[in-house]
Amino acid sequence: MSDTSLAILTENLTRRFGRLRALDGVNAHVPKGAIYGLMGPNGAGKTTFVRVLLNLINPTSGGAVVLGHDVTKEPVEVRRRVGHVAALQPLWDWMTVRDFAEFMRGCYPKWNPEAVSTVLDRIGIDQAATLGVLSRGQRAIVSIAVAVGHEPDLLILDEALTGLDPIARREVLRNVIDAMQAEGRTVLITGQDIADMERICDHVGFLVKGRLVLEATLDDLKSRVKRIRVEHPGESEVQVPVGAFQVERRLRETVFTVENYTPDLLVSLDGPGRRAVATDLSLEDIFIDLAQAHMTADTAGAGGKLLPNGRSA
Amino acid sequence: MLVYYNNSTKAMFDSINPKSALPIYRQITDQIRWRVAAGVFAPGDKLPSVRELAAQLLVNPNTVAKVYRDLERDGLLETRRGDGTYISSEAVALAESERTRIIEEQLRSIARDVRAFGLPGQAAMDLFRRILSDESAQRKDRR
Repeated sequence: MSDTSLAILTENLTRRFGRLRALDGVNAHVPKGAIYGLMGPNGAGKTTFVRVLLNLINPTSGGAVVLGHDVTKEPVEVRRRVGHVAALQPLWDWMTVRDFAEFMRGCYPKWNPEAVSTVLDRIGIDQAATLGVLSRGQRAIVSIAVAVGHEPDLLILDEALTGLDPIARREVLRNVIDAMQAEGRTVLITGQDIADMERICDHVGFLVKGRLVLEATLDDLKSRVKRIRVEHPGESEVQVPVGAFQVERRLRETVFTVENYTPDLLVSLDGPGRRAVATDLSLEDIFIDLAQAHMTADTAGAGGKLLPNGRSA
Repeated sequence: MLVYYNNSTKAMFDSINPKSALPIYRQITDQIRWRVAAGVFAPGDKLPSVRELAAQLLVNPNTVAKVYRDLERDGLLETRRGDGTYISSEAVALAESERTRIIEEQLRSIARDVRAFGLPGQAAMDLFRRILSDESAQRKDRR
């Protein structure tokens, strides 16, 4: 279970809390150098996933390898090379920004104070200020600044954008982009704001009820998943291709989503008195369609069809 | 009226719309292609670095790098080692074919609609001719 092109690899990763399967056989592949967006509704298992990677909790079964290290066997190695920013991280209000950075510095064998200052200085955070007087957005930036201090190869941002105002969100996004400047650095970001994720991510994974129902590059996903509308004024009903979902039969018009679009599909659907049109979907549309398809098809075993970058489901 | 003057190409990019169904890669590519076709970007203009443009548009640097790579392959851009990315010297010649390509793309989509609605080809051509002459008449009026 080692692949040097991957920053994160999980195999059948499962974590139960009592009867709840917070993670249910997750096979995730995060390539080195990627900005990977892990999305999913509340309670889908995103934070549990991150906590297993950092060895804050153990998996019930299955395993995870981060930067070539097994998370349960070599947790110290993993943490040395990973920077972590949690949602609304509790910071010690009475500490100054400078003291906080110094404190964190003590936790790592190597430290680059310039990497920290660069992040703080750009938005003019006074290092002599106490953490308690900072805004939520500023605190998020302080967390990121400190998380890159030990120059991690992997930066994990868990819900770091959640609850921030638009200006603070832009600042966080900017910092993620800057964080990529280190050659080969990987970013895993979890959250729900799909439009923000779409800006910066090149890979996406989608968790629903503890299962990774989708993993793909953003480009691939957008070119493969399309909404098709067939106008058929002459006929009352047309045949829908195998595997189509979110099928909507309207009066003389049929609409559905496909996950393996090719231009040939339109040609095969065209006919006398019949016309097929393909519409591009935004990432948000894709996720809503897929989530609904998976929620309803859950028991039918249709889950996990559109899967890992051409890897078999 | 507040007018901003900015002569760097970095200022010439419009913000992208992450909610659009058009992929971000396409949005950035189209912006450059369109400006070359319109002559707004001229040979020798220096483009912002991948990092600069990614930070400005708030998009993944890999996406910007791919845009530059693909446009370089198409001859629109050229990279001078250790110096940066420029609009290529062939861009003037390419602008002509870019204009044709953009119009062709739009006409193809119209042609599909013409067929779907069963409009005779001749009627569509007449319509297009009439619109073209209307447009040029309006331009003359304005002058």
